[in-house]
Amino acid sequence: MAKTIAQINEKIKTGKAVVVTAEVFTKMAKEKSLAELAQEVDVVTTATFGPMCSSGAIINFGHWSPGIRMEEISINGVSAYEGLAAVDTYIGATSESKFDPTYGGANVIEDLIRGKDVRLHARGKGTDCYPTKEIDTWINKETVNEFYLFNPRNAYQNYAAATNSTNRIKYTYMGSLLPRYSNVTYSTSGELSPLLNDPFLRTIGLGTRIFLGGTEGYVVWNGTQFNTRRERNEFGIPKLPGATLAVIGDAKQMSADYIRSAYYEKYGVSLFVGIGIPIPVLDERMAKHLSISNDQIETTILDYGQENHPAVGTVSYAELASGSVTLPDGKQVRTAPLSSLAKAREIAELLGRWIREKRFFLTEPVQMFPKDSFVKPLVPREGGEQ
Amino acid sequence: MKRRYALRFSPTLVEQPIVSKLARTYDVDINILNADVASGRGGKLIVELSGTEQNLDASVIYLSDAGVIVSEMVKELLFREEGCIHCGACTAVCSPRALRMNSEAKLVFDVSLCVVCGLCTQACPLRLFEVSHEREA
Repeated sequence: MAKTIAQINEKIKTGKAVVVTAEVFTKMAKEKSLAELAQEVDVVTTATFGPMCSSGAIINFGHWSPGIRMEEISINGVSAYEGLAAVDTYIGATSESKFDPTYGGANVIEDLIRGKDVRLHARGKGTDCYPTKEIDTWINKETVNEFYLFNPRNAYQNYAAATNSTNRIKYTYMGSLLPRYSNVTYSTSGELSPLLNDPFLRTIGLGTRIFLGGTEGYVVWNGTQFNTRRERNEFGIPKLPGATLAVIGDAKQMSADYIRSAYYEKYGVSLFVGIGIPIPVLDERMAKHLSISNDQIETTILDYGQENHPAVGTVSYAELASGSVTLPDGKQVRTAPLSSLAKAREIAELLGRWIREKRFFLTEPVQMFPKDSFVKPLVPREGGEQ
Repeated sequence: MKRRYALRFSPTLVEQPIVSKLARTYDVDINILNADVASGRGGKLIVELSGTEQNLDASVIYLSDAGVIVSEMVKELLFREEGCIHCGACTAVCSPRALRMNSEAKLVFDVSLCVVCGLCTQACPLRLFEVSHEREA
């Protein structure tokens, strides 16, 4: 019999809800039927902890006296967006410091979350209502009004693996790729990953409450580059990057255990983001999706040595996780992860505990995400309509 | 056997014939590879000492007791393990497999397999590795 989210929340309230992680659920599915599992388990927790470049934070600094209309803003030397009224800003994770390319927006966000002071410098042209032209001061998460993460594209549903055919080492956001196909890197928590457990986003939509960076957050839109047109395998899993999520959450409540800045050699700064999503086991169909295992999830290996990254082959995450894969030419190649499975497991466990302790309830999405969406390239053109 | 050391002298120590006394007393050959020492300022010597293990050890004790700061020139990999998030990016470049993921998806570092190539210092997104050239003797 199918369950509703309201019924599951009722069970959470009375302490009767059965909550397991997606890895445990996958193991259970080897011994029990989907019908039994759909009856027995109420919530499956999924999680990921990986570098997610399309992340950032909104900050409201509070007003200076006399006022300043901030038209040029830097925090610890990292430039932040200046086009949001007088004292609002958005600092993107990948924005780099003018003085140190290994320090960027992600580090500012981590420093603020850790409670550190950061230096704010701002300029304005000076207006009748905002006469101050320049300020230089220190702020921290207690002195500012709002400080919340708003990440336009997180939690990719599958991501391509990377290798390098050239004779030179390539430093990429997929890590250090050794010459002549000598390694393959991949970024996923596989069978624990949120959008691989709900591949058609039946339960995840606008308003879904999630774990974000150590506190509760929300899914607020589909992520940018949301793609539903990727070819799917027999288990409904897209073989290349598919759906994505835009998420939001109060960074003042977050912890550096689950939000961490990163620097990729000769690429730049990024942000490790910890996300956990509870998926309700509504019926057998959801149980089937949730029983997905690493050998059923495939991804494409792309050659980051060539322009446009041509595909080299397809592999399962079970193969990637084994430590080596065989490329189509027969070469055995070492594999390495880029996202932390150990941390993702910690998040899935923690989210499960919150639900069992009646501190976290499931939400019915306000609106579902597009069923047909694809990603357009940026095409060069001259002129335009006058 | 041979070992290389960095010897750091304070301004007062520079006024004493420490190195020649070392050669005479402890029967070690001293090859000075690099010297940046000046009277009144102190400085640093990079030396290679050859002799028996016993004499080398005694030389280090003599130098330390005399007030020289002695560090052995050893190339080794330092890993600030407490900051590790177990992402695994470093394992992509570690050919001898000194860095690898265990069955619980945690990073393990087996120092005995490390050849100190230094590739992990660039591969780690949290910059937790450093190649050190000197160790306190």
